Amino acid sequence: MPTGPYDIGPAHVRLDALSKACGTERFSADHYPPGLLWAGAKRAGIPHGIIRRIDTAAARTLPGVHAVLTRADVPGTNRQGIVHKDMPVLCGSKVRHAGDPVALVVAENRDILRRALELIRVDIEPLPAVASIDAALAEDAPFIHAEHGSNILLSAEIRKGDAETAFPDCDIILEETFFTPAQAHAFLETENGLARLDEDGVLHLTASTQAPFRDRFEVGHALGLAPWNIRVTSPFLGGGFGGKDGATVQCLLGLAALKLPGRTIKMWWDREESFLAGYKRHAARMRYRVGAMSDGTLRAVSCLLQFDTGAYAHLGGEIMELGMEHAAGPYRVEHMDCRGECVYTNNPVAGAFRGFGVAQVSLAFEGMMDRLADRLGRDRLDLRRQNALRRGDRNCAGVTLTTSTGLDECLRTLRRHQFWTTRNEWKQAAPRFTRRGTGMAAVFNGMGYGRGLPDNAIAKIELAVNGRFIIYSGVPDMGQGNASTFAQIAGEMLCQDRTRLEVVQPDTEISHPSGSASAGRTTYTYGKALIRACELMTSKLIRRAALMLMIDEPGGFTLVPGAVRHLPTGKEVALSAMAVMLPRDDRVCVSEYLMPVSREVPPTGKDFALGFPHLIFPYAAHLVRIEIDEPTGLVRVCDYLAVTDGGRVLNPLNFHQQIEGGVAQGLGFALMEGLGTCNGQLITKDLSTYLIPTSLDLPDTVSLAAETLEHSGPFGMKGVGEVGMNGPLPAVASALSDALEAYIDRAPVTPEAVLKLLSRGGQA
Amino acid sequence: MSVFLPLTLDDLWPLLSDPQTRLMAGGTDLLVRRRAGFLPGPICCLERIPCLRDVSVASDVRIGAATTLSELLENREIAEKLPVLHQAVRQLGSPLVRNQATLGGNICTASPAGDTLPALYVLEAQLELGSRTTTRTVPIQDFITGPGQTLLEPGEILSAIRIPLPPADSTQCFEKVGRRRALAISVASLAAMLRLTGKTVREIRLAFGSLGPTVLRCPEAEHWLTGRELTPDNLRHAAGMVRQSVRPISDMRATADYRRQVAGNLTLRLEACLP
Amino acid sequence: MIIRFNVNGRDTKLEVRGDERAVDLLRETLGLTGTKEGCGTGECGACAILINGRARLSCLTLAAQLDGHSLTTIEGLGTPEQPHPLQQSFAEHGAVQCGFCSPGMIVAAADLLIRNPHPKREEIREGLSGNLCRCTGYSRILDAVEKVEER
Repeated sequence: MPTGPYDIGPAHVRLDALSKACGTERFSADHYPPGLLWAGAKRAGIPHGIIRRIDTAAARTLPGVHAVLTRADVPGTNRQGIVHKDMPVLCGSKVRHAGDPVALVVAENRDILRRALELIRVDIEPLPAVASIDAALAEDAPFIHAEHGSNILLSAEIRKGDAETAFPDCDIILEETFFTPAQAHAFLETENGLARLDEDGVLHLTASTQAPFRDRFEVGHALGLAPWNIRVTSPFLGGGFGGKDGATVQCLLGLAALKLPGRTIKMWWDREESFLAGYKRHAARMRYRVGAMSDGTLRAVSCLLQFDTGAYAHLGGEIMELGMEHAAGPYRVEHMDCRGECVYTNNPVAGAFRGFGVAQVSLAFEGMMDRLADRLGRDRLDLRRQNALRRGDRNCAGVTLTTSTGLDECLRTLRRHQFWTTRNEWKQAAPRFTRRGTGMAAVFNGMGYGRGLPDNAIAKIELAVNGRFIIYSGVPDMGQGNASTFAQIAGEMLCQDRTRLEVVQPDTEISHPSGSASAGRTTYTYGKALIRACELMTSKLIRRAALMLMIDEPGGFTLVPGAVRHLPTGKEVALSAMAVMLPRDDRVCVSEYLMPVSREVPPTGKDFALGFPHLIFPYAAHLVRIEIDEPTGLVRVCDYLAVTDGGRVLNPLNFHQQIEGGVAQGLGFALMEGLGTCNGQLITKDLSTYLIPTSLDLPDTVSLAAETLEHSGPFGMKGVGEVGMNGPLPAVASALSDALEAYIDRAPVTPEAVLKLLSRGGQA
Repeated sequence: MSVFLPLTLDDLWPLLSDPQTRLMAGGTDLLVRRRAGFLPGPICCLERIPCLRDVSVASDVRIGAATTLSELLENREIAEKLPVLHQAVRQLGSPLVRNQATLGGNICTASPAGDTLPALYVLEAQLELGSRTTTRTVPIQDFITGPGQTLLEPGEILSAIRIPLPPADSTQCFEKVGRRRALAISVASLAAMLRLTGKTVREIRLAFGSLGPTVLRCPEAEHWLTGRELTPDNLRHAAGMVRQSVRPISDMRATADYRRQVAGNLTLRLEACLP
Repeated sequence: MIIRFNVNGRDTKLEVRGDERAVDLLRETLGLTGTKEGCGTGECGACAILINGRARLSCLTLAAQLDGHSLTTIEGLGTPEQPHPLQQSFAEHGAVQCGFCSPGMIVAAADLLIRNPHPKREEIREGLSGNLCRCTGYSRILDAVEKVEER
């Protein structure tokens, strides 16, 4: 059946949906080339210690073992990291968390690998485990990174106005401390990849990675290789959510490949290893003081945000930065004094995770808004509307919002919805043994890298000899659907249907550096670059067609499905005919785009080398209706509503999928997730003890778009990959305080905590 | 490593002469533990022995030990006559787990949190144990002696579970408390069977799971409620007795305090059993 | 030991080790990588396949146990050229984001529909409660199964 162009606007089905549903789409984990060897890491097992001895003799002699490597075998710096390179590929002198790798084995098969790893004896003299932020900051705390001189990775401040002098003038001052735990991404496809060093000296890596281009630099720096001698391909990821941003298996695989040239080596962390060694969301403690006037105007916010970055930096400083930049919420606040400390501990390594510091502070700023509203006797939603940022305002970091700011529209949409308007009747109708509550939250999440790190993408599109267009994506698709969105952008620009559009997943050899799949940026930045590349392509094809048709000027041409048409004469040239006649380098168009940054450089945030401030923000208003089972304290999420300002919606399917997924992860964070550790040892080691929501635990989220127009974005959009994650925790906390008349200050909200609050109220 | 798949009991017995051999029914417990490095040795699968998968309902209910939980769930007579067991099975694991996990396996694993166990205790199930030369029948409450411990002798298997048909006028309830609504280890559970005349309790059995080393009955509360009406006040009194009698521990899923509190609260909810 | 079984309509005879898992046999020996592994402990459902028409966790099934049986993996349910109605419905209803849970989810849905051809939404929710998805929040998956016959 003929279809129209695969264009912007309709809910087009993704190009990869069917192949994934049929199991034919190959993820990185699905590659098993012949002659494969398996690599695996021996890990510390204790959170802090000095390595005295690593005995690999028995492992080496096991038949089927091809290599047993330790730090001495690592060339280069033996240091990986995205910004701050403090993480060994293999630990030589010291281990800093229980998952720190001390040796690498390469073997014929996984059975031999397992046995060889068991045979390695590691003798570590334990050091006191620094298992909390307070322990790390204590006077006599051992330094986790001796050369760093303290356990504070980064200490920073963002100030607007002068909060301390403003507080005495406030009619009301409230204080509270909030806690959020470490969270595991729990993607279904765990960390994995393959590596091979070719005869030509190129290191080939296939990995489940969010940053193929940067991986070359990270691996190169760690192992002393030139980045341009490293080729990385990133197939569709079985989930990322930030946990595959930054090398996971890549440096270890590179090391193995260097030692066994010509052999293909695979590493695939099983679920337990992913929990032990993979990155996590930073746990946070957030101390807040908010001052307001009796008419509801917010005057001052003072807060101390402390983030537990675990053993290594990863993006700890940048994550804390984003949290700090959002610390007072999407509100007009005259004064903010936000201090942040990102602290090393011997806990599992914290790194990028959807919501990037903002998921944590959202509990805090929204919790303060609820407390303030209640204290003032104000409607919780109204108070937020009163203080909601509008375009032209300065946000809490002192930066003028020059871009689309649709928070109020989100709040108004929520206000009209029956979940909000009927909340009192709904509450009164609670069945026996239950209590009901409705809660809401206003959230936002800066898009892109912010100032200091160019947020750039280079798009490449080719007219293939068969007349189809190939888009060379520069950023991985981890399920957010950007590959198909790129096809839609090309389809829109070039008027082609889906049979003529193909997207190739990133390959550093044939696509161009376009940054990482993170920060809600990929459709925005790569999309803009692609639009330009398509414009170049259109102009080129029209001119070539004019030549072929002997028409002496290029006006009056347009692209139609499969051809270029001259409107005045009706003459056409088929794209396939053109393609055959053009040499390859005349069929390829490349263009780039650099995301705009704030032109305002507020006199604060100087501790941040990069990432401050951000310019473009999606906004959202969330609502949740919950039912507490009084005998057990169990919380059931009955309904969820998310209203999101993501600029213009390019494809409703992809848009709402992102929101629904973010809400699902956020509800897990609110009600059942939370990495359990004790003295640096993992307690929640697998999916039976670290619980994520099943189909029976989630409602059908109602997701609505409150469309604004983001002038700078492709077709008016901005990225909504993260903002959905930030709403559920504060919304659930809000609903619980509505039901219990007691406040929540930490995640996850356990049935036990609820039961205690219920019994305090005297009812059970 | 050897795997045996006997087709009959006669094929099975010789395989059990090696004390290292592990019996496997559904594998959902055994294979997970082996992955963690425990219980090595040859495996003997029971799934292909037809007489171990038979379900018959006559003067009592006889369930072959290797009957899968899905087979149990899909059995109409069990749903009708043993709703407390049906409800318990329905909340165990997930549909995929139930397609291979077995009733016998859940019993022999004897976890303090085993989901089928409270129902089987309250139904006063009898277990048929067999070996090459012997058969014996043991009440379930005697069979499980501690966490992960049963009376099973070497060379012996659990062959069937026999459950007396509950009286026609009995009401059965089951509730499981977990941290999420599927694939959750029970934090506390209550299986109950009652016979009522109007609101008055003629007979009541309460079996609590995940609240002690094995399933616990609460004779004090059962005794006290017998002859009394099922009112919120009376249930509150009984709840107090339940809280005194359970022996929960604290672990990563819940504290002992919480479990104790909830045990009593589940008792309060028995008022929903009134017709 | 030698085992004989039928997979996706094809009779197969293979030598397997005692401790070999069905999921590894399928993915590595037979190249059927449509079946995924997400946990190895039966908690996520990504490894689900049909054995004699019943969904089972291939990570908790030994290869030896396959002897004499008839298996259907996601590849056997349908292909992009000739998709199973569930596969088509999943694609159309936005039930596929990263797609790693999709094969196991579809196999579990297929099992459900065999036993209950017209399930209510809550029955679908329960029927898929053994399959974890981290991307979608499940609603569109439920839509896809609910509406599979409307096509």
